[in-house]
Amino acid sequence: LFLATLTYDTLRFEYEDFPETKEPVWILGRKYSVFTEKEEILLDVTSRLWFTYRKNFPAIGGTGPTSDTGWGCMLRCGQMIFAQALVCRHLGRDWRWIKGKRQMDNYFNVLNAFIDKKDSYYSIHQIAQMGVGEGKSIGQWYGPNTVAQVLKKLATFDTWSSLAVHIAMDNTVVMEEIRRLCQSNFPCAGAAACPAVESDVLYNGYPEEAGVRDRLSLWKPLVLLIPLRLGLTEINEAYIETLKHCFMMPQSLGVIGGKPNSAHYFIGYVGE
Amino acid sequence: PKAPQSLSSPSPSIFSPLQVVVERYQKEKTLPPLNRTKFLVSQDLPLSQFAVTLRTRLCLASSQTFYLLANNKGLPNMAVTMQELYRDNKDEDGFLYLTYASQEMFG
Repeated sequence: LFLATLTYDTLRFEYEDFPETKEPVWILGRKYSVFTEKEEILLDVTSRLWFTYRKNFPAIGGTGPTSDTGWGCMLRCGQMIFAQALVCRHLGRDWRWIKGKRQMDNYFNVLNAFIDKKDSYYSIHQIAQMGVGEGKSIGQWYGPNTVAQVLKKLATFDTWSSLAVHIAMDNTVVMEEIRRLCQSNFPCAGAAACPAVESDVLYNGYPEEAGVRDRLSLWKPLVLLIPLRLGLTEINEAYIETLKHCFMMPQSLGVIGGKPNSAHYFIGYVGE
Repeated sequence: PKAPQSLSSPSPSIFSPLQVVVERYQKEKTLPPLNRTKFLVSQDLPLSQFAVTLRTRLCLASSQTFYLLANNKGLPNMAVTMQELYRDNKDEDGFLYLTYASQEMFG
C-alpha cells in the first residue's frame, strides 16, 4: 500500500516521486491519472497545509517547552487534518495554493488559527494545554483519539468556523447523534462574522445557492472523526480496501495514524 | 423447553450462557487489567452492551478508546449479538477469546 505522507520521522522530508502507473491516484476524494494529470496532482498536494516540528516558539504555558521536537508529531497531524477541515470550510476543496498568487484573506485566517502562539484557536499551545484535561501532561505523546478529543473541545471556541465536531467512539457512527449535533440551534456566529459569502466557498456539501446562509444557521458543517484500531501489531489486511475507499469519498479529510514512534497524516493512495 | 446443558459442553444450547475470555493486549500501556477475565454472557446480549460492561469495570471515561478484537484479528461490528460473535470466532476449546486495547501513542 503506497500512501502519500506529509510528515516525517526526523527533520528530513522524504519525497518519493509518484510511481509511473496506470492505477489512479486518489487524493482526498479526487481521482487523478499519473500520466495526464501530474501537474494537477502536485498542485493538489502542495495545497494541503503541512505542519511539523518547530522550535523557538513562545513557551507553552509561559514556562513550558519552546519546541515540540520529539513529542509533537501527533499534535501536528491533528492540526493538519483539522486545517484541511478549515480549508474545505472557508476556501473549498478546489482551492489551490499557487506560488506568487495573492491569496484570499481566509487563507491567512486559516493559517493564523494554527500559528504557534497561545491565543490561536488550534495552536500547539492550545492543544498541549487542553490535553491536560485528557490526562496528558505537556510534552507527552498523543494518540489519534487524544488529539481528536482535544480538537473537538477547541473547536467550540472557534466561532469563526462554527463547526460541529463529532467523534464516533466504540467504532460506531450513530446518525441520530450527528443530526442532533449539527442542528443544535444556537445562532451560527461564524456565518454572521463572515463579512461576505464568497462565491467560490463551498459549505460542506451544500450547493451554492441563495439562502445558503440561512441553511448554514440550521445545519452546522460537520467534522466526523472515527477513531479506530485496524489491528493489534499490524494492520489487518481485511481493512485495506475499505481504508482505500475512505480516500475516495469527496468529503474525506484524510487519516491520522502512524507506526511505532512516528505519526502520519495520510491524504491519499495509489495502487496497492 | 430443554434444560440448559452443562457449561463445558462444546455446543451450548440456545439457553446457556456463552463462555468468553477477555484479555488485555500484552503491549497495552494505557488501559488497566481486568480483575477477572472469564465471563458468562447471555447469547442475545449485543456486543455493544458487553463492551459497556467492560468499560464500566475498567472505569473508563467515554472519551477513552477501548477496542475489542476477536481472535486477535479484527474489530467486530458492535451491533452483533454475542451469539453471532461466538459462532464466528469461538475457539476449539469452546471459549470465545477477546482482546482489548486502546490506541497507540505517537511522538
